[in-house]
Parts: sequence; structure tokens; C-alpha cells
Amino acid sequence: MDLYEHKILLVDDEPALRRMVGGFLTKAGFQNVVYAGNCLEAEAACRREAPHLILLDVMLPDGDGFSLFDRLHRETEAPVIFLSARDEDESRLRGLGLGADDYITKPFLPEELILRVTAVLKRVYRIREEKQEERVIDLGDSVIDLGSGVVRRRHTADSANAEADGNGSEERDAAALNIEATLTAKEYAIIEKLSENRGRIVTIDALCDAVWREGNFGYENTLIVHIRRLREKLEEDPSHPKHLLTVRGLGYKLV
Amino acid sequence: MKKERDHFYRLPKVARTFQYGFYMTVGIVLLVVVLNLVICIVSMFVYVKKNVTNIGGGEVREALLVTEDGYALTYEMSQKLAEKEQWAMLLDGEGHELWSYQKPAELADSYSRTDIARMTRWYLDGYPVWLRVWEDEIMVVGMEKDTVWKYPVEFSISWIDYLKQVGLYFLLINIAWIVLLAALFTRRFMRNRERARIEWIAGISHDIRTPLSMVMGYADTLEKNGELSEEARQQAAVIRHQSVVMKELIADLNLTSQLEYSMQPLRREHVRPAQTLRSVAAAFLNDDSEGNLQIEVEIDGKAEQTALSADEQLLQRTFRNLILNSIKHSGHSEALEIRIRMWEERRHLWICFEDNGAGYSEEVLRRLRNQKKKDAGPNIRGLEIVKKIVTAHGGRVRFGNREEGGSFCEMRFVRS
Repeated sequence: MDLYEHKILLVDDEPALRRMVGGFLTKAGFQNVVYAGNCLEAEAACRREAPHLILLDVMLPDGDGFSLFDRLHRETEAPVIFLSARDEDESRLRGLGLGADDYITKPFLPEELILRVTAVLKRVYRIREEKQEERVIDLGDSVIDLGSGVVRRRHTADSANAEADGNGSEERDAAALNIEATLTAKEYAIIEKLSENRGRIVTIDALCDAVWREGNFGYENTLIVHIRRLREKLEEDPSHPKHLLTVRGLGYKLV
Repeated sequence: MKKERDHFYRLPKVARTFQYGFYMTVGIVLLVVVLNLVICIVSMFVYVKKNVTNIGGGEVREALLVTEDGYALTYEMSQKLAEKEQWAMLLDGEGHELWSYQKPAELADSYSRTDIARMTRWYLDGYPVWLRVWEDEIMVVGMEKDTVWKYPVEFSISWIDYLKQVGLYFLLINIAWIVLLAALFTRRFMRNRERARIEWIAGISHDIRTPLSMVMGYADTLEKNGELSEEARQQAAVIRHQSVVMKELIADLNLTSQLEYSMQPLRREHVRPAQTLRSVAAAFLNDDSEGNLQIEVEIDGKAEQTALSADEQLLQRTFRNLILNSIKHSGHSEALEIRIRMWEERRHLWICFEDNGAGYSEEVLRRLRNQKKKDAGPNIRGLEIVKKIVTAHGGRVRFGNREEGGSFCEMRFVRS
């Protein structure tokens, strides 16, 4: 199913806010938006409409969103994003121990709302926009294909020869991308994380998180080893990296 | 590194308000007790003087004149005795009655030595009496039955000494009680007041957020509306930007009020500050599109593994506020350098932020140091929040200027 075909149930007691948020969602492309103004309506709408995602205000006139969330959860598996106007809720929601998928604190900007809605939908319904250009990372002198987990690098010596021969560039390209290296699972996870944040610093901790999931405590040294191996595969000169850069004290950056 | 304790700023606000209430209560209780004692003693004296004092034997004897016909009482004294409903009799050395005035009929005319010995201290057939020996005569003055309670009192001197000691302890124990009760009541009172205030602020900030959502949302929509004029869109951008500022103000207000009254339920968890610091620093560097910002993070090997029992969100806030403050007061437009060091020393984790900016003004430092009410002057909300968060975590914080220029903020936490 297309991302924008998903049905969204918006529960908030303030009609003006409902109108506004509904407007944002429609404008962003979501065509199926249904509304509820209180717990009762929300439960009815949930049964009747079977929404794919619920935007739920924490404070409702006939009960609080947390207990409504519990009731709704018995009937539907649709993900829930809380809308909260209180900092106190934030502390409860932060852990999302309730099983909610995300939360947004009022006031919010439209982009934030759309971003979160889209992210949750993608995550829960596993919608992957498998655009080829996103799966292939072109670093200039090497290309990482995340689809197959292979790095192809232009060999310096080859290109130098090719230039010296004065051959055409097409020929050179074909011949140049001749060094192939396969990424290990860990290297793949690292490069995936870095490419998602290309041009931005990814901290050591975030990388360890991405590679080892939980309990990344004390993996920093192992990470350094993996980074070195990755550089050997990616970089022309691994000891003077041009793409996989170290940001001292913080982490790494892919440029 | 050796640090002088005095330089650390504490958060005495709550403590001070508490102290105030506490001293008030203790003062009031002591005042009431002392006042009661004074009133009690004074009124006793006044009453005794007015009502109880009986006319003594000596007085009566003096008013008794020896005439040729025998004894005669002056008119005034007889009036006085009548008024007090007292009677009198004079005995000679052998216990025989020489004279009497309004003596109850049931009493005898002559008394043995044992009778006299008994009546000196106690009663005479149920009548309270006072004796006065006058040369070889005994003047007995009495009152009606059941008017006076008599009990001869005597104490050993050692017992009185003992009482003095015990009395001191007794007094001390009493004072301790007063202090304890005052503390309990004041605390309870303060708690309630604080809670009401925090809830009030939380309520207001809640009520502002929903309308602000709409201001923010629609301003953003207008800003992106291509049909509007450039000017109108710019104005919408200003509204949007200012509503974001308001959002932050509300969050700050809420957080400040909760931290101020130490009511913020710290969501303490196992946090590695090294991680938190890195993520905050990286976020700033990532958002710095012009590349004017330089953040150097140095974490020593031990501090890398140090864990704190802390509220991570608040810790992030602390780091962010410090970096934001450095950016805001970078002083010159050249590249701003922030150096953040983290190290462990015995039971403590130290975190030090330094920059090469303009440094804190004297005014800011003074404000950070003492808790004076701020009516006007530089806005140091961000730094005050830092101070409150650190203090709420049982840590200490010190702000100052570096000798080579720029400011520093040094924090110390107790590691878990």
C-alpha cells in the first residue's frame, strides 16, 4: 500500500486544532483522515474505520489519552503517536514504556508532525522507498552498493595508466572500477548509518548502537578496528582518509 | 586538582524560604510559651495579692491592745477580719485561751502542746490556721473550713540542685521539640504552597500550548504560501520564529519552576555523560552550516566509562544551554572555539566547558553567585537552568572567566 493511502485517526478535543492538523496531513498527501473529539468517539471511530495510525491527544474531556491508549490497544494494532501539551507527559512518554510509537509536544511545526507520521508509518508497515540512487553511495573514487554490500574502487594505478595512454573516459571508468571488496555485516551497518547521515557527524555511540544494538558498552575499540578495515576498502590512502573522516573526540563522518 | 569549596554556587532559594518559615514558627512558639509563662505568673501574683492573702497573726497581735478590761481589738482590724471571714484567738504559753474574735464555737478554749504542735503545720479541727509566736503568747488566725489548702513543703538542697540540672535538660528537650515540630510544619506548609504554585504554572503553560500550536502552524503555512507577497511571507516567518521562542520560554518557565522548588521528578537512569556530551556536541557541529563553530571534546579514559544516575534529558539541556550561551556571547564574529573536558577524580566526575568568547560580565557572575531577585539586567535564564539542573542532581557548578579570555563553567557530579 502506498504511504499516503493509510488512514489516520486524529483525536483532539479542540476543533480548531483538528482542522489545522487535518489540513497539514491532507496537504502532505494523506487523503484518509478521520477525526474524533473525545474518548467515546475515538473508540467508535477506531472500530468503524480501522485506522492505520492514531494521533492521540493526551488530555481529552472524558478521560486521559493514556488510558484510552490502553483500551484502543486491545482492539487495534495501529501505531499511536501522542500529542501532548504538558512537560509532565513528556517524561512519561519519553521512555515510551507504554508502547506508543512516538510523541509530539505542542506546539509543533507542520514538518515535525508530517516527519514523525511518515517515519512511524514507514517503520510499522515496512514501506521502503527502495530508490536505487539511495542504495548506491557514490563517493567519487569509490562506489558503495548497499543492495549487494559491495564496494567498487577505481584503482589509482589503472587510472593513471589510462590517462597516460590517452584513452577515452568511458573505457577508463569500466576498467577502473575493478577493485571489489565485500562488506562484512558490521561494516555494512556502519556504512549504512553513516550514509543515512552523510555529511553529518555520527557519534561513536550512535555507531555502536547501530552495529551492536543494545549494550554497546565498551565496543569503541572494536569500532576503531572496523573503521580501519572499512577505510582499506573505501579509501585510496587509508591512512589519509578523504571520505570516512574521524571527528576527534566525537565520532565519524562520511563525505 | 584542588578546588576551593567556597567558590561553588549552591542553590539556597528553597532552603532560604524554608529557613524563614522555620525561624518564624520557632519564634512564634517560643514567644507564646514565654508570654504564657509571664501571664501565668503575673496573674497569680495579682490574684494572690487581691484575694488570698490572709491577715497574719503578727498584724492581728499588733492591733490587739491590752487595756485594763483585758484585750481589745481595734475597730479597723475587726472590720478587716470580718471582711476576710477570718477569726483569731490568742493563747498563752500553756495553751489557754486569753482572747478570741469570732472563733467558731466548736473549738476548744485550751490546747495541749501536741494540739499546738499539730496546728502549726496543719489544720485545727479542719480550720486552716496560721500561728505567730509573740513573746510568750501565741496568736492563732484562722479561716473557714475548706477555704485554704495547706501543705507544708520542704526540699532537700541536693534535690533542688538535681532539679536545676533536670530543669536544664527539660528545657533543652522542649526546645528540641519545638524546633522539630516547627520544621515539620513549615515543610508541610511549604510543600503545599510549592505544589500549588508549580501546578499553577504547569496549568498555564499547558493552556498556552494549544493556541500557540495554531499560531505556529498557520504562521508556518503562510510563510510557505507562494501566493502571498514576499513581505507578508516574511512577516509570517517572524511570527513563526517568535512562536518558537515562546515555546522555549514556556518550557523554561515550567522547568525552572519545578527545579526551583525541587519538585521536578528527576527521571534518573543510568547515563553515560560522555555519550550525552558527544551527541550534543555533534548536533551543534552538524547544524553549524557556516563552519564558525569549533568544539573540541576531550574525555579521559576513565570518564568515558563513568556512569551517573541522572536525568539524561536534563543533562542534555545543561550541555546545550552552555554551548548556546557561548554562541550567544561569542563576542567577536571570528571562529568560536569551545573546549569541553571531562575527567574523573576519585568519586567525582568533572565536566568543564571553556570558550574563547567575551566571557561573563561582572553583573552576570554576581547574579549567578547570589540569589537576589532579578528585576532587570542581563538575561541569564539558560545559565540559571544549568545551575539548577546540576544542583538538583546533587552536583556543583562554578562559573568564571579564564585568565586568557573567555568564560568557563565547571561542573562536578558524584558518580554512581
